[in-house]
Amino acid sequence: MADLEESEANDLKPEDLNMAKSLVESDNGFFDKFGGKYVAEIIRRPLDDLEEAFNKYIKDPEFLEELRIIQRDYIGRETPLYYAPTATELLGGAQIYIKLEGLANTGAHKINNAIGQCLLAKKMGKTRIIAETGAGQHGLATAAACAKLGLECVVYMGEVDVRRQQPNVATMELYGAKVVPVTSGSRTLKDAVNEAMRDWATNFATTHYVLGSALGPAPFPDIVRTFQSIIGEEVKRQAAERNIDIAAIVACVGGGSNSIGVFTSFIENPNVRLIGAEAGGVGPKLGENAARMVGNAAKVGIVQGYKSKFLVDDDGQSQPTRSISAGLDYMGIGPQLAALGECGRVEFTSILDKEALEAVNFFAKNEGILFALESSHAGAAAMKIAKEFPKDKAIIINMSGRGDKDIFITSPVFRPEKWKEFLAAELKRLENNEDIHDAEIMNK
Amino acid sequence: MNAPITLMSHLIAGFPDGETSIAIADALVKGGASILEIQLAFSDPSADGPAIQTASTVALEKGYSTKQGLEIVKKIHDMHPDIPIYIMTYGSLAFTPGVENFVKMCKDAGVSACIIPDLPFDNDEGLTAACAKYGMENIPVAAPSMTQARLEEMASKGFKYIYAALRAGTTGSQTVIDQATLDFLDTVGKGGAKVLGGFGIRTGEQSKVLCKHVHAVVAGSVFVNIMLEDPKNIAGVEAKARELSGL
Repeated sequence: MADLEESEANDLKPEDLNMAKSLVESDNGFFDKFGGKYVAEIIRRPLDDLEEAFNKYIKDPEFLEELRIIQRDYIGRETPLYYAPTATELLGGAQIYIKLEGLANTGAHKINNAIGQCLLAKKMGKTRIIAETGAGQHGLATAAACAKLGLECVVYMGEVDVRRQQPNVATMELYGAKVVPVTSGSRTLKDAVNEAMRDWATNFATTHYVLGSALGPAPFPDIVRTFQSIIGEEVKRQAAERNIDIAAIVACVGGGSNSIGVFTSFIENPNVRLIGAEAGGVGPKLGENAARMVGNAAKVGIVQGYKSKFLVDDDGQSQPTRSISAGLDYMGIGPQLAALGECGRVEFTSILDKEALEAVNFFAKNEGILFALESSHAGAAAMKIAKEFPKDKAIIINMSGRGDKDIFITSPVFRPEKWKEFLAAELKRLENNEDIHDAEIMNK
Repeated sequence: MNAPITLMSHLIAGFPDGETSIAIADALVKGGASILEIQLAFSDPSADGPAIQTASTVALEKGYSTKQGLEIVKKIHDMHPDIPIYIMTYGSLAFTPGVENFVKMCKDAGVSACIIPDLPFDNDEGLTAACAKYGMENIPVAAPSMTQARLEEMASKGFKYIYAALRAGTTGSQTVIDQATLDFLDTVGKGGAKVLGGFGIRTGEQSKVLCKHVHAVVAGSVFVNIMLEDPKNIAGVEAKARELSGL
């Protein structure tokens, strides 16, 4: 698999930069050759209606003010741009800054888009919200947004993801959402998207589909980017206020909503390298990872309503992906990022599962910051390249989410015996219907 | 064998297995089907319901992707050369090998038309042109939720056939086709296209009511469901086709 060293984009040609500048937003749904609205006519009308409503409300001062207040008081914006002194010293190169999107209410950047779209749906007169979710963070954010705004919420989630992200399932249900396990296909994120599309085709009169990533048919890539670009706008302002000289911004890329969110304000600035970290999984072979831009496994294709780069076979059948991080475990990438990658404006690297786990450990121990497994791919990428930069330059890591939700994945890795004992004891306690105060104490 | 109702009936190449799907095609023709709509299984059939998704997964697990699916189609075509075969699938399977290559592969298997709902008629990646080049038809799929303007645009493009995915129109035991549906069908056919119409047809009665308003009645998941329940029930498929075609 190609490393960053092989895909240096520092000497971006002027024509490539001009191309990148033309990719800041879509041209009628397309980012160069990627994007579009490749959907059956049955789902065309809700997309067209949504596009019209979005274009109207995104210019409406009342809507924007309502959104701003929710962002401030409910999400907790702006999120901090944290200087990481120990990481900077240990990595021995650029200053390391971490954009703490994980401090946003519900624990990840996903809430930026969920609130934006749910508020828009409410303006459109919709009463029911559906969403797909992989890691569960988007489902969680949507469930919370619906609870806050008084909307009914149904979340489709692949059976595999329901299993590996159980804490998020439990929390979504606490927010009053109905979580529907999807048992078709590979039972992961892409299958949840299919199921949500089906629901929407039948129920769009009352229902809005809150797509969680900057992908899918137009206008979703534009809508999601618009609501997420507040991340990059804040970084730009925070850096200017504190005279931080940004040399690179690193973000993880599943579908790409946090990365496009943090990159957008910097696309036209050639002095800032934009680096996307994909899931390298357990190895470079097709099926062992979810790398669409790194390596040559992905093909230009049309799947789930948009044209982009996909992990499909020669016939066009989607291929299984693999990553320790449910949020990056997806065969496609947002069309805008695919276009920005093709013209060299955004560089891509891939991070193995074990490197992502090491990064979780590194930032937890040295900075007291717990990265989500998705975001730790960005952390790991920054750790690899920090030395390439002088000490007066800064690398911004977008910590798109925090890692509380991953405790069922990280704990079995970092402390397997204690975790096993805990689970066994907890199961026994629940089966015996014992109060925690009366239960047998572990490791006595 | 001329059935009173022109029935376009659907099957998935390779479901429940290769041989049985050929037997299903045979049963459908014996039951009076005039056109066979054969679906090439795709991993992410988001425009289909759960029955067809499940059946597609089975076909793919048995190895029936494009090439193997079209081998089945070829065998069916050789058995019934007078029955037109329309391929239904998704854009990914046409676009990935190249739309023209895909159409040529279909042509070589004896296919006479393509139905690919996620390649929209106004951005079809060259599907209509490729079909024309090989003497085939591209059949777009119209939906009642389309705006009048878009529907009229589709109708005016000179397509020989348009597939109309109707809204379910049954109330109680009576099948009624409401005025909105009739208006929709009128618009679809306005430019001279022959309309293939379906809305989850289950019974002969529904078929009889609908056939007066369309060129062909489309029935799909009803057959897939019979096979999902009992993968050996070929006789059930034939009997259902007979009921729907009025043979």
